[in-house]
Amino acid sequence: MGDNKQSRTFDAIVIGSGMSGGWAAKEFCEKGLKTLVLERGRDVVHLKDYPTTNMMPWEFKHRGEVPYDIREANPVISRCYAFKEDAMHFFVKDTEHPYVQDKPFDWIRGYQVGGKSIMWARQTQRWSDFDFEGPARDGFAVDWPIRYKDLAPWYSYVEKFAGISGNKDGLPNLPDGEFLPPLELSCVENYFKDVVSKNYKDRNVIYARCAHLTEPQPIHNEQGRGQCQNRNLCQRGCPFGGYYNTNATTIPWAQKTGNMTLRPFSVVHSIIYDDEKNKAVGVHVIDSNTKESIEYYAPVIFLNAGAINTNLILLNSVSKRFPNGLGNENGLLGKYVAFHNYRGRINAKYDGFRDSKTDGGRRPTSAYIPRFRNLHKQETNFLRGYACTFSAGRRSRTDTNGLGENLKNNLMATSELGDWGIGSQMMGETIPKESNYVSLDPAKKDSWGVPLLKISVGHDDNDDKMIKDFFEQMTEMYSKAGFTDINTSDSKQAPGLDIHEMGGVRMGKDPKTSLLNKWHQFHNCKNVFVSDGACMTSTSTQNPSLTYMAMTARAADYAISQLKKGEL
Amino acid sequence: MDRRSSIKTLFIISAGAALLPSCLQEDEKPSVSLQKIKINKKEENLIAEIGETIIPKTNTPGAKDVSAHLFALMMIDDCYDPDEQKQFTKGLKEFDTFSKKKFNKTFPECAPPERLELLKSIENKNGIPENVSFFYKTIKSLTLQAYTSSQYYLTKVHEYKLVPGKFYGCVPVKKAS
Repeated sequence: MGDNKQSRTFDAIVIGSGMSGGWAAKEFCEKGLKTLVLERGRDVVHLKDYPTTNMMPWEFKHRGEVPYDIREANPVISRCYAFKEDAMHFFVKDTEHPYVQDKPFDWIRGYQVGGKSIMWARQTQRWSDFDFEGPARDGFAVDWPIRYKDLAPWYSYVEKFAGISGNKDGLPNLPDGEFLPPLELSCVENYFKDVVSKNYKDRNVIYARCAHLTEPQPIHNEQGRGQCQNRNLCQRGCPFGGYYNTNATTIPWAQKTGNMTLRPFSVVHSIIYDDEKNKAVGVHVIDSNTKESIEYYAPVIFLNAGAINTNLILLNSVSKRFPNGLGNENGLLGKYVAFHNYRGRINAKYDGFRDSKTDGGRRPTSAYIPRFRNLHKQETNFLRGYACTFSAGRRSRTDTNGLGENLKNNLMATSELGDWGIGSQMMGETIPKESNYVSLDPAKKDSWGVPLLKISVGHDDNDDKMIKDFFEQMTEMYSKAGFTDINTSDSKQAPGLDIHEMGGVRMGKDPKTSLLNKWHQFHNCKNVFVSDGACMTSTSTQNPSLTYMAMTARAADYAISQLKKGEL
Repeated sequence: MDRRSSIKTLFIISAGAALLPSCLQEDEKPSVSLQKIKINKKEENLIAEIGETIIPKTNTPGAKDVSAHLFALMMIDDCYDPDEQKQFTKGLKEFDTFSKKKFNKTFPECAPPERLELLKSIENKNGIPENVSFFYKTIKSLTLQAYTSSQYYLTKVHEYKLVPGKFYGCVPVKKAS
């Protein structure tokens, strides 16, 4: 194929190959569209490119620790819990891709095929109308143009393919899905569940739904994936395909159709808008190795570059019609960025169940407390609420006291079981505000000539009040269960470390106050769609990846039908 | 159980390293390549002997058998911050003085029971020079880490299962037999 315009023209272009881009690729390719998938990082092929996946603890030179020089040179990524010796090759180092922090913001990135879906925490809770109706009820941001009923069938669609382990809990605030069997809760988790349901009408402790194949179905076998073995080493990539990542599922699925062209090392500089045709016609790509400029063309373009990079590409896509970024006539592009408030933590001990323990595998999930605050009506001095993780386990303890033979005897002895350790982390909704925004640095550029992104996003008073309430409510609940040594802490972590940054290209009903319509389509540039975190109008409390997947499948389905009708 | 009977061999520890001519070792490089901290072969041997006193070879492997001292040096070199590295090497130099003060000889010259006594005195008593205490604590924690994360320990003592399989949320604790 020669390098002519025709060879660089496709039916669809998907920018990004991570959590949501993989879904766009799969949907387009399955429906017969010749699809170009652009990924700024390298290729990561399932199984082949998981170099650490079968390594034993002693095979890691530093036993998992990240060397001092790397930590010193890369303070942001070093704060990420999963940036350890076994998975650090999947994370972007600060030094490789700088950005400007107007306010402290820990931007955690994974530039490779699969993106952060390789290292994600695999929590998959659905949203409900308590979330979608939040902005309208509580008077912030703008009303979502969609409701739960719009997304529900698409949740089911992606859940069946991805494989979600869960329990049908029958809760209106956390709708049930298409579940594979749950893993067990521990004795103390079940005990706490009982204590909470006896003491509180609207509070529940449930098994956290997660993207693990607890009982693979034919569709998963067809993907070449097998049962989760409870290794809990997911961040390395799984040799069984036991959890959902793009590399084991959507990307090879799209590949199999013969319709996908996957192009790694492709930095998208901007989207090309044709002022005569009044629509986007393609994308301007810089090859990250050769720095060569290349243009690709397609009648429909999906932006799935990850929330913040999607904002960056759009802000950098200037034309006569859109001098301030693609679709940005109202000046709202890059604004109303929000995230999840993960600062609050609580831990404790429990003296009961001395005769019981957990055993066998290393369970890759925990229990979960869906949002109960301000659920049915406003009842506190802050808006919205928080969900919480909950886990209770018993570690075996090796006695390292003594010296010489004494110490050695201790090390050789059967480990003793310690107390039950209890812990929760808050996952709080934050309120999108115009003053939390991203923009282009007017002077600084990266190695590919793309302006550096400037991030100006911070916590506010609502977040602080919510943390206080989390401490109070959880302490009360822990106390009712008889937990002791209760200890609360505020990590004071900057936004970003939650890795749930959202917004900047929000959906809405009105082109004056939003950028995307209910189909994730620009109000004023109908052939460009955004279905990653950038489209989010509000954040709810749930881990967002499952919602991005469902939104992407839904938006792709709509785009395909519009293409067929000749509407794009 | 083999492991338990092994305790009887407590004091049969080779003092071979102590007999090597130490002046030669001061010019010799250590067995691992180090970028930041300066350690000679003699000091490496001292650290190996301290490690071996902490976890001695019996009829099961000791610290030296899992190369705990080399792991410790590599970790201090790669993972510790410059202040910690400085304090560690200071403590290493002062350790000799500390040993001479107590037993009139260097640690490798001490007999095994004296070595154990010396380390116990650092663990238990106040008034130990700060750098010596830091040096010792660092060696102990890295020796423990090296030993309990070694292939030997994780295959023969407390087996690490790479593929553990089913998770059980609540099972009775078996009484020790």
